[in-house]
Amino acid sequence: MGIRKFIFKRLIEILVIFFIILTVLFVLLRLSPGDPVSRIVDPTMTPEDAQRLIEQLGLNQPIWIQYGYYLKNFFLGNLGISFHYGQPVTSIIWSRLFNTIILFTTAVILSALAGVFLGKIASWHKGERTDTWLTLSALVCHTLFLPWVALIFIWVFAYKIGGFPLTGMISAEIWADPSSGFWLKLLDVAHHMILPLLTLFLIHFGSYLLIMRSSMLDTLREDYILTARAKGLTEKIIRNRHAAPNAALPVITSVGLSLAFSISGGALTETVFSWPGIGRELVFSVSNNDYPLAQACFLLIAIVVLLSNLVVDVLYMYLDPRIRY
Amino acid sequence: MKEPDRKNIFTPGSIFSDRLLENWSIFKENLLGKIGLTLLIIFAFMAVASFFTPLIDPMYNPMTGVDPNISYSTGPSFHHWLGTDFIGRDILSQLLAGARIAFMVGISAAFMSIVLGTFIGMVAGYAGKSTDALLMRLADMIMVMPTLLVVLILSSLFGQLNIWIIVLLIALFRWPGVSRVIRSQTLSLKQRPFIEAAKVAGASPLRIIFRHILPNVLPLSLLYMTFRVTSAIIIEAALSFLGFGDPGTVSWGMMLQWVWKTGNMFQAPYWLIPPGICISLLTLAFYMLGRAMEEVIDPRLRKEVEGE
Repeated sequence: MGIRKFIFKRLIEILVIFFIILTVLFVLLRLSPGDPVSRIVDPTMTPEDAQRLIEQLGLNQPIWIQYGYYLKNFFLGNLGISFHYGQPVTSIIWSRLFNTIILFTTAVILSALAGVFLGKIASWHKGERTDTWLTLSALVCHTLFLPWVALIFIWVFAYKIGGFPLTGMISAEIWADPSSGFWLKLLDVAHHMILPLLTLFLIHFGSYLLIMRSSMLDTLREDYILTARAKGLTEKIIRNRHAAPNAALPVITSVGLSLAFSISGGALTETVFSWPGIGRELVFSVSNNDYPLAQACFLLIAIVVLLSNLVVDVLYMYLDPRIRY
Repeated sequence: MKEPDRKNIFTPGSIFSDRLLENWSIFKENLLGKIGLTLLIIFAFMAVASFFTPLIDPMYNPMTGVDPNISYSTGPSFHHWLGTDFIGRDILSQLLAGARIAFMVGISAAFMSIVLGTFIGMVAGYAGKSTDALLMRLADMIMVMPTLLVVLILSSLFGQLNIWIIVLLIALFRWPGVSRVIRSQTLSLKQRPFIEAAKVAGASPLRIIFRHILPNVLPLSLLYMTFRVTSAIIIEAALSFLGFGDPGTVSWGMMLQWVWKTGNMFQAPYWLIPPGICISLLTLAFYMLGRAMEEVIDPRLRKEVEGE
């Protein structure tokens, strides 16, 4: 099967899965205790506004027509109005998604690179002290409780030592000042990003290291490594050019497989650091009983996870031409 | 997925307890396993001790016991070895109670997800065809859902969730990984002569699954259980940390939520540090135990477990 056909098939699958998720959410909302209308329409709205919204969302119709309205509104992008912000939720979530992607992709890429690099070293020194320490620290980092690490980082680096902002993504005084240029603003965001990034990095690189290490050990047993040795290549070339690129492939799979796990971790990191991302918005809206916003955040995260899995699979096919689904 | 060769490990007919005894001697030599087991025993003692602290003095009740002389967070003292929280409750007794909750949540959620995952995996693998396709599609779908966020959206619909509902939800969302491994194991077992023999002898599919396949996949299920305990503890702790835990329980995540939300975190390291260390160490202990068991059962399984 060609890559294009594969992508097409997977997109259809994603659409089906997404449709199921939408339906389950609809059913759950109707099953939940209390009046579903009060969950979707802000109780503080004026009666006329509320009535208009109820009609727009079809909440005064029989249940199967409501379901039709629900699907139609979803595909038209009408996900309701956030109670907290008083704005349509779609306009809120896009900017949040962007912030999440900046933080999250940077963290995943950096930790995967570090994991591959250190895993390579660990496997090369298998059984020696370097290996023991790397493996052990990877195990410990991998099981650290993420929100706690985030709190400790804030306590140590932002409070005790200082020099890092406590929370947030931007400093108001820099962004409000019209004289500050693009680079200053970028630097400001980067400065705010260091601690959340460090938290996510610490939690993730361990598992990548462990996978890289065991995959590298498998690869080193392959015949082509023996061939490379027989050809008289130096150990360094064998390690970096022959073994490592092949051994790194399972790390990519694991990035895809652990994505759901990492997204939860991302939400926790965003919440502790008040990083205005989609995960924090979800936590925030659930605390505020802002159901329309919570639902929109959840659906957006689901789309992102499903599509990223596809991207990972395609990337894998591209990197390893032997793999065809 | 590559089908690992496990011929020499799962010899049909060998008795489970014999193998356990034999494996124990390999396990004993494993450093990770020893560290993990030691840590687990320490935490188990903490969990048991939590039953006795309220008996010493009612103020050591983790939830309701308040020191009559203290109404704010104080540092370690003679009566409160780890200090008190924002309303004068003893932190050490909360920490002990947290161990109990963590074990309860971790083991029961892991057990349920393993039972579900093993059963579904065996059925999918043995039945094949459309049953298999349907079950595995379902597994794929659940696998991509971030469990923590699913539980969050459910608690936005149904309000505060009871601890057992949380356990059940974790179990319901954590079985797919297990069922995939059990399925591929079942697929290879299905080709063995002893299954063929059972079929010829007239055994029903259910009998074959439970009497002939189950004993052979059980070690693998047990291995997965240790990893599931880890993820269940983390999910519950994270949920409590965000303020969506069961308000009737004192878990380590809840303690962190209190120290964070009451604004004590910069002033009260004696309160901030212990719960986090406990969560991290307990999950580490189960994880190490899992890795050690993995090396005993099959060193080549490792890749399928990472990232869960």
